[in-house]
Amino acid sequence: MSKIAYFNLPDVGEGLTEAEIVSWKVKPGDTVTVNQVIVEIETAKSLVELPCPFAGVISELMAAEGDTVEVGKPIISATVADDAVGATVAQAESVAAVHQAVADVAASAAAAEERTPNLVGYGVADPNGPIRRKRSAAPVSTNTSAITAIPAAAAVPGHLAVPTHPETQVLAKPPIRKLAADLGVDLGKVTPTGLNGDITREDVLGSASQASVFRNLSTPAVPSEREERIPVKGVRKAIANAMVSSAFTAPHVSIFVDVDATRTMEYVKRLKASTDFAGTKVTPLLIMAKAMMWAVRRNPMVNATFTAEEIIVHNFVNFGIAAATPRGLIVPNIKDADKMSMLELAQAIEQLAATAREGKTTPADMKDGTITITNIGVFGVDTGTPILNPGEVAIVALGSIRPKPWVVNNEIQVRQVTTIGATFDHRVVDGDVASRFVQDVASVIEEPALLLD
Amino acid sequence: MGNFVEMPIAKAINAGLRKAMHEDAKILVFGQDVAQLGGVFRVTEGIHAEFGDSRIFNSPIAESGIVGTAIGLAMRGYRPVAEIQFEGFIFPAFDQITTQLAKMQNRSEGHHPMPVVIRVPFGGGIGAVEHHSESPESYFAHTPGLRVVSPSNANDAYWMIQQAIRSTDPVLFFEPKRRYWQKGQVNLDTPPQDLHSARVLREGNDVTIATYGPMVHTSLQAAEIAATEGISIEVIDLRSISPIDFPTIIESVKKTGRLITVSEAPNSFSIASELSARITEECFYHLQAPVIRVGGFDIPYPAAKLEEIYLPDADRILEAVDRSRAY
Amino acid sequence: MNENESVPMVQLLSPEGDFAVPKHYAEYGQYIERLTEEDFLKFYRDMARCRRFDNEATALQRQGQLGLWIPAIGQEAAQIGSGYGVGKNDHIFPSYREHGVAITHGIELMSILKMLRGVNHGGWNPEETRFHLYAIVLGSQVLHATGYAMGVKFDGKVGTGNLEEDLAVISYFGDGATAEGDISESFLFAANTQSPIVFFCQNNQWAISSPTASQTRVPLYQRGQGFGVPGIRIDGNDILASYAVTAKHMDDAREGAGPFMIEALTYRIGAHTTSDDPTKYRSEEEVAYWTARDPLKRFETFLRRQGINDDFFNEVAEAGEKLATEIREATFALPQPPLENMFKYVYSEPHPVIEEQLDWLKRYEASFGGEN
Repeated sequence: MSKIAYFNLPDVGEGLTEAEIVSWKVKPGDTVTVNQVIVEIETAKSLVELPCPFAGVISELMAAEGDTVEVGKPIISATVADDAVGATVAQAESVAAVHQAVADVAASAAAAEERTPNLVGYGVADPNGPIRRKRSAAPVSTNTSAITAIPAAAAVPGHLAVPTHPETQVLAKPPIRKLAADLGVDLGKVTPTGLNGDITREDVLGSASQASVFRNLSTPAVPSEREERIPVKGVRKAIANAMVSSAFTAPHVSIFVDVDATRTMEYVKRLKASTDFAGTKVTPLLIMAKAMMWAVRRNPMVNATFTAEEIIVHNFVNFGIAAATPRGLIVPNIKDADKMSMLELAQAIEQLAATAREGKTTPADMKDGTITITNIGVFGVDTGTPILNPGEVAIVALGSIRPKPWVVNNEIQVRQVTTIGATFDHRVVDGDVASRFVQDVASVIEEPALLLD
Repeated sequence: MGNFVEMPIAKAINAGLRKAMHEDAKILVFGQDVAQLGGVFRVTEGIHAEFGDSRIFNSPIAESGIVGTAIGLAMRGYRPVAEIQFEGFIFPAFDQITTQLAKMQNRSEGHHPMPVVIRVPFGGGIGAVEHHSESPESYFAHTPGLRVVSPSNANDAYWMIQQAIRSTDPVLFFEPKRRYWQKGQVNLDTPPQDLHSARVLREGNDVTIATYGPMVHTSLQAAEIAATEGISIEVIDLRSISPIDFPTIIESVKKTGRLITVSEAPNSFSIASELSARITEECFYHLQAPVIRVGGFDIPYPAAKLEEIYLPDADRILEAVDRSRAY
Repeated sequence: MNENESVPMVQLLSPEGDFAVPKHYAEYGQYIERLTEEDFLKFYRDMARCRRFDNEATALQRQGQLGLWIPAIGQEAAQIGSGYGVGKNDHIFPSYREHGVAITHGIELMSILKMLRGVNHGGWNPEETRFHLYAIVLGSQVLHATGYAMGVKFDGKVGTGNLEEDLAVISYFGDGATAEGDISESFLFAANTQSPIVFFCQNNQWAISSPTASQTRVPLYQRGQGFGVPGIRIDGNDILASYAVTAKHMDDAREGAGPFMIEALTYRIGAHTTSDDPTKYRSEEEVAYWTARDPLKRFETFLRRQGINDDFFNEVAEAGEKLATEIREATFALPQPPLENMFKYVYSEPHPVIEEQLDWLKRYEASFGGEN
């Protein structure tokens, strides 16, 4: 029995990477014995005769005289006995590949010159260049039992979306970063109050308390059906009929609430300063729109249409914005506004306003609205009792936002205060639902972090 | 509890050496001028009179020879305690210490442990000439196979020299020469702790100071002053420079969030650097400020008239405390 | 004649194989008289064994199986002779080329190959073999030997007349190492303490590429005199001189005569190591001159004149081939050392950094799931 063995060019001089074949002492077909000199090579250090590591019959000389061969590449192949000892280390490699390697070395004389042979050891490891080993497990923590392990995922949790600043651009001491990570606070969204412009423990805790308030409130999922039809019957039908028989076709009911909008104003300021919102107009109206979207989700009845037979509850929001235009008041709406991100909504509002200003609003833009806001604050008034957009059951008026005395922790402080007014179709929206809806909107205006769902 | 005696550090080392020599006849003390003279600092004073030539002898002025023969003696079963007269003269022995003493246990695969103690008076503050005031401990702490310790007070000096002698690994024993005559209570009955553990000498909440050897005293002074300003400083005496008792320091830094290292050695590539790097790795999320190193400058040890400016003092430490707290 | 040979030296066996004891070296001749034929055959067998081992190791290095090889070819007489001159309790502190001395003290040759293959840094038990570890830093081991000898003296194991207990120390080093301060400090410490040590310098005439003439202006055997260490030069290619002079001065040292230095003038026929190319710095004529003075040939001539015939030499040659096959196979079979070995012996007592780093490395390696 026999097998093919290869003799790979060894490093004969402590860190050499290649050698030139000077002269072969054998030819294919020759029988060789262990330690028989088969070739003379010249390295960067010396002229060396190489003894054959096995006995056998030479099959092939894999480099020609004058070739420069890399250490580790086979130089001869031979047929040897199966139990030949020296053959066990030989690595079979295709002859073509070896010849290619020889050619590569010859072709890149410059590269060869760049190699710096060190003078000690077993030869430079890995003459073919670095290869990264495949790892099957996570990176290995250097920490020991004596030392607290750092959690593997110290990064900001993914559900916080992309921070408005890369984390590293935010100034914060390591323990503050850890605290923020633990509490799920996105440092990029925290207003720094530290002396060096850094985020303090209090800043993070402040944001965290907002976030934790939010976490205690659940936002119901969007129903899978696009519309939900509730039969008008029994008490509700009776109330409706009573209302219809009243002096009003649509019985309006208006409620009002004052709210501290300071944080909304800060939030607006931060959004304006953020790179993501660069070039986009950000106003309190945007936060208000988002607040209504959130409140609608929690109080779906305000986003509905009344017909004689049934109340159609919309599980989508076509968000109407009352706009004063040269042609009079129009109410175009943003279709499916509840599906939009803050940025998309901001852009949509801006687009809607621009279209309206230019008089290019189409009938389609004004069709199928489900709920409306009117920003009367821009006219400098605190509030009003808006009239429902036909076919809708709720409309919200955003009054002006201005500094006013406000009681905080039993002390009067100057805060940015506004009034939220809303009118509902009483046939559909009862007082308790109306109140909860307005309260929810007000909560967001007071604490926009509620939006961080 | 215990039998307490007041003595200076130099005498405490002397007493510790004598006690060890009584307990183990294989302990040999040698070095330049250690016998009749008792060494240039008199640390071995009286030992020759008590134990004679067979246990303590003067070596030729050849540091490599002192350490090289100590290695051979250890192979023969002795426990050599060699003295290098001043830290600035240790370098002729650097080869034997780093290539031989440190590696013999490893090279011999455990057949030749090296129970050798090399005593080295180190540090400045004594108005000396060149090569008599340096702090070369980092060179040795950097060398695998060696252990490096430094007592800061008489009780530790008494016990740590005995513990170092009992160790079967080579120990570089750095003695704070400017504190040799600083007295302290020595408990002759009970060792305070093991050789390689650090000690919290003063508890505090605002800033941790990690220090060793001669700077322990200075750091305690700084903590004292800081307390009058309402700043609470925790002072840790490393005692062991290699290995460093990191769990003790980590626990403290996790409490204070701030670490200042204090040593006389040039800061770059030093024990202080190692403390800074390691604490940053282990306490990253607890650090309220970067680790600040108070140490010597990266210059040759200056002439004596300038050494008071070169050496860290309470003011330099307090300046670092202020800087740390400003973060 | 080589200029190095102009200095008087102890020679009992001429390059032509003639045995003669000059009158003034009679004290050495006595040691030869005690030898039996079996001792002579053992001397030759071990020299041949050393040579064959050396050649096989060189081939293994050329085949990529050893990181380095350090040939001792040409120095076998100096090494085997002096090795047998060392007493049964004596301790030997070699440099890194003392394969012949190792053979005389039962060191497994694979221990040496393991070191040069990079499996470990030595690792044989020096207390058991009394043959200490190879020392790579030139001269470093001579101070250890001196310290050991000082310890022997402190132990009172010198000059008691109790041959079962008394011992001496021998330290080997080369001509190049004599330039190291550690050698001079060794002479000083040994002389001051009158410790039982023989300094055995193999002057193989080349410190890599530097000839002895560039290392010293006076013959090396005189190097110790200023420190109080007397010395003598021997013909290092004469195994009988090497044996007798070593045995005599080890006896003297054991009996309390203090340190002594032997300079064995020999020649490094091979390269300094397999990384060296001696053709770049010395002439073919010089190598030919010394190859003609090959210590094996000299002793073979002597043995044949004693009536030893081909049967013996053929047997030795066969044993050499068997040895070569054995060590070749054993070299290929040497297992990869486990990674724990790097950490295992750094300290003799527990060390937190070592434990922590080993633990990390194990977990790191495990993170590759065994793939490569």
